[in-house]
Amino acid sequence: MTRMARRTRRSRHRMAAAVAATLGAALVAGCADDGGGGAAERAGSDGRTTLTVGLFGTFGFQEAGLYEEYERLNPGIAIEQTVVERNENYYPQLLTRLASDSGLADVQAVEVGNIAEVTATQADKFVDLGERPDVDPGDWFDWKWQQGTTADGKTIALGTDIGPMAICYRKDHFEAAGLPTDRAEVSRLWAGDWRKYLDTGKRFMADGPDDVAWVDSAGGLYSAAIASAESRYYDADGDIVYQDNPDVRAAWDIATTAAEEGMTARQEQFTPPWDKAMNNGTFATLSCPAWMLGYIQDKGGEQSEGLWDVADAPRPGNWGGSFLGVPESAPHKEEAAKFVAWLTAPEQQATLFEERGSFPSSPSSYDTPTVADATHDYFGEAPIGEIFARAAEGIPTQHIGPKDQIIAENIGRSGVRQVEQKGLSPDEAWDEAVKAVENALGR
Amino acid sequence: MRETTTTGTDGAGAAPRDAGARDAAAPRPARSHGAPSPAAGGAGRGRAGAAPAPSAAEERRRARRSRRYRRDVRWSPYAFVAPFFLVFGAFGLFPLLYTGWASLHRVSLTAPTDMEWAGLGNFTRLLGDEFFWNALGNTFSIGVLATVPQLLMALGLAHVMNYRLRGSTFFRVTMLAPYATSVAAATLVFVMLYGRDYGMINWALGAVGVDPVDWQNGTLSSQFAISTIVIWRWTGYNTLIYLAAMQAVPRDLYESAALDGASRWQQFTHVTIPSLRPTILFTVVVSTIGAMQLFGEPLLFSPGGSPAGGVDHQYQTLGLYLYEQGWVNLHLGRASAIAWAMFLILLLIAVVAAVVARRLRKSQ
Amino acid sequence: MSVLSPVDARKPRDPRDPREPRKGAAGRPRRRSRAAGAGGQFHGGRIAYLILAVVTAVSVFPLVWTAVAASRDNTRLAESPPPFWFGSNLPRNLEIAWHDANLGLAFLNTLVVAGSIALGTVLFGTLAGFAFAKLRFRFRTALLLLTIGTMMVPPQLSVVPLFMAIAELQWTNRLPAVVLPTLVSAFGVFFMRQYLVRALPGELVEAARVDGANSLRVVWHVVFPVARPAMAVLGMLTFVMAWNDFFWPIIALTQQNPTVQVALTGLGRGYIPDQSVIMAGALLGTLPLLLVLAVFGRQIVGGIMQGAVKG
Repeated sequence: MTRMARRTRRSRHRMAAAVAATLGAALVAGCADDGGGGAAERAGSDGRTTLTVGLFGTFGFQEAGLYEEYERLNPGIAIEQTVVERNENYYPQLLTRLASDSGLADVQAVEVGNIAEVTATQADKFVDLGERPDVDPGDWFDWKWQQGTTADGKTIALGTDIGPMAICYRKDHFEAAGLPTDRAEVSRLWAGDWRKYLDTGKRFMADGPDDVAWVDSAGGLYSAAIASAESRYYDADGDIVYQDNPDVRAAWDIATTAAEEGMTARQEQFTPPWDKAMNNGTFATLSCPAWMLGYIQDKGGEQSEGLWDVADAPRPGNWGGSFLGVPESAPHKEEAAKFVAWLTAPEQQATLFEERGSFPSSPSSYDTPTVADATHDYFGEAPIGEIFARAAEGIPTQHIGPKDQIIAENIGRSGVRQVEQKGLSPDEAWDEAVKAVENALGR
Repeated sequence: MRETTTTGTDGAGAAPRDAGARDAAAPRPARSHGAPSPAAGGAGRGRAGAAPAPSAAEERRRARRSRRYRRDVRWSPYAFVAPFFLVFGAFGLFPLLYTGWASLHRVSLTAPTDMEWAGLGNFTRLLGDEFFWNALGNTFSIGVLATVPQLLMALGLAHVMNYRLRGSTFFRVTMLAPYATSVAAATLVFVMLYGRDYGMINWALGAVGVDPVDWQNGTLSSQFAISTIVIWRWTGYNTLIYLAAMQAVPRDLYESAALDGASRWQQFTHVTIPSLRPTILFTVVVSTIGAMQLFGEPLLFSPGGSPAGGVDHQYQTLGLYLYEQGWVNLHLGRASAIAWAMFLILLLIAVVAAVVARRLRKSQ
Repeated sequence: MSVLSPVDARKPRDPRDPREPRKGAAGRPRRRSRAAGAGGQFHGGRIAYLILAVVTAVSVFPLVWTAVAASRDNTRLAESPPPFWFGSNLPRNLEIAWHDANLGLAFLNTLVVAGSIALGTVLFGTLAGFAFAKLRFRFRTALLLLTIGTMMVPPQLSVVPLFMAIAELQWTNRLPAVVLPTLVSAFGVFFMRQYLVRALPGELVEAARVDGANSLRVVWHVVFPVARPAMAVLGMLTFVMAWNDFFWPIIALTQQNPTVQVALTGLGRGYIPDQSVIMAGALLGTLPLLLVLAVFGRQIVGGIMQGAVKG
């Protein structure tokens, strides 16, 4: 009995020791595990420096083969990216990590809606890219360069693409509605005025297929309309003026009219149901900045190939576009800065456009054959280089403020979408939107 | 969030009450303090060298041992509770208080350590903040929609499972499958099932001639849909809790009820339910706390994973509103005030529950 | 027999052990009048089985359909009626999900996180629970009340300062940021205390002490053996909770160093060309716990039910 008991005790000892050891090991492992270390260590095993790239949405660097090319040109470098689809989820994460100086990728993308806030509040967290010998400010549109530069001249992020807008439309649905399908004729339908675009929509809703809407979403239409306005939420002095700005109201009226008239497919952009609607072709037009083409191709899939085409937007505008910056606390600052300079140079921007349709922010590339002669086979060989270059030259210079993103989101969501989804009148919805914006802005 | 508290269910209802009562009744032998008593000498039989006439050296050793023993008895309890309170103090209590401190400041996520005194501004602001009241209302209505049917169904199911059944282990285990499914996985699936245009539920409704429901955009429909995710995940778990409590009901109560001519239904309402009262109260409290903290389901229910809780904030809960204020609008001070408001509301619920529990006990 | 022997440390069989009625179902004569509950005396009728069949179907259907959706592609999922049976894309989708959501690393991280939390909760919970249950010290009641009171503090309440703290410590994306805040739980302490108050006879502790055992030896040789069943239950519950924890991890971690839940959230929000891939990720993230449930189902059910009655 005694021996039995002792043996039990000893084995229990051993078990307990094992438990304690595991706990200790687990804790140590937990504590030792470095932020982002997982990815870095895995790639680091073959002796290369791994540059991490944090992105949102669809940049397409990887798909365009630019990482591979850079890795080929720089044998010691490996590149890995992480992508969050929606910028509204990506951006708080970025701020979080900037605030804590940890968990940052070597290269971080910033969307145009946030760039003003980043330059205003986070400039000291980023490496100055403006003074590098391998970076020439003349390669960019001046407004694009300035957006990534602080008041005292530190350039914290370089422009990648811009989002000159066009309208993507479904030729099959246009034909069914008795509308022209040729892109020049289609462009003429609404040239110069978003109202004409709505008028065409009314014709389409009357004569087109029953289960097909004119436009995907009121929110998307609003984004497009405000993008082509002369100004948006801030005035030239940097004051918030969205409530009284006639440009905002004009864009608002366009979007809410479409919603009220039932011309939208009532989708929310960049969600799985929207993807499915695109796949099933339940809407005829979509305001498409250049970067949207890749998205449509991915989500639309094979069965929609050749059905889409690209026409001019009623008015030129810029929707989206991004910047790349290198955080001060990035593990490989110098390599990353060099990589960003290369990635945003005109040649690579042109390649990205050629492969993925993201339009260069570098006007000097527009005359190169890569851009000027570009067509897109998924979109019926549309001459997208010509179309988007035309749009890019006409982009109005808007003042972007720190809270642009949040204002836009709340006007879109609490305002426009309430007309579309919940049947509020535009006036009621505007009041809701103002309340939501003010609540979001108030500290 | 729900997980953190739900395990609390097994803490079981009667706990705090029993705690005091049992302690008072527990024997507290005098020998646990200080030098060996006669009783201890008796228990120490069989130890070598327990000589009746100890030498001087033995005496010293004994004194030393007894000193060490006293020290040990005196301080070891603190050593045992210390790890818990250290970690808890650092990561539970301190943040709790610091949140209170932060709620009195303006703090932006762009510079979280840069605080600017705001007094009670964040709280007075909440009083007039219709988004806060909306979120509170939603939290309440989703809580009711999720909790009441859940517990009623669990009670009924437990009753069914309390019959002698073939394969009862199988049923019990499959019932737990939703509990083992994470919020994220469960919600992602339900979002697809509840899709407006291509979801299976609308397809099934269409098959029986019902118009498709816009689950996302309706207030009631979205809250109902979110509630079903909660119900799906927790009904089985609560069923097991109730089942365990039912099995603990003394059988002679039923026998005497049967002798009095009570039908099975009467036995259920007159014997089972009253016996389960403490358990029911406790599951209600725990579910309420869980509902109060609802976060993952409504977050992922919106297709983009946005904390706005729908175009009209129609399913934005307090947890989501806190997250939106802090991590989208970047106002950490206001987020802290919302957190404390949630805490105060929970305290209120706890007080009410305690009062109800006391009433309940008196009436028994 | 030595008083330190763990054998006699075992508590007497609990008459309310939920497994008992099942074992007694074969008609073994009951020893105690309170052995079985209400319906235990009746066999379930067809309606009972019907109800249970429906409940089982409802419990399992979303999981099965996750697998169905994961075996299809986006185009098929956008059709009506939705698919009801498996397609051929499962391996492909699983592979994409595994790679895109960084699930391998996520599993490893979650195992470390949930394992550490479960062990910490059990170990520290047992120590403190024992002290509260059987030892006397100053402020015991006050500290116990404090512990009970904090059981209902919502995690939301500590998020802001924790976030500031990890910002200061540069801990974003590191596992200690999610392990440490939940390493102990008030519930764990309370749970163990409730168990030990009843299951651990005071005489046993006294006898061990008289035998010359110091407190550590008492804990090791008396408390742990007695507490083992409850420790197992607590460990299991904590592990499941930590595995599925969501609110704090999605703030503290990112896709680069995720737990499973963070990875799944990222997948739900991420740039994935195909919704079937999202479902494949959900399936992968759920599978480990379902497997554990399938293997240890009986023990887990028993644990939950025991825990329910004990407190």
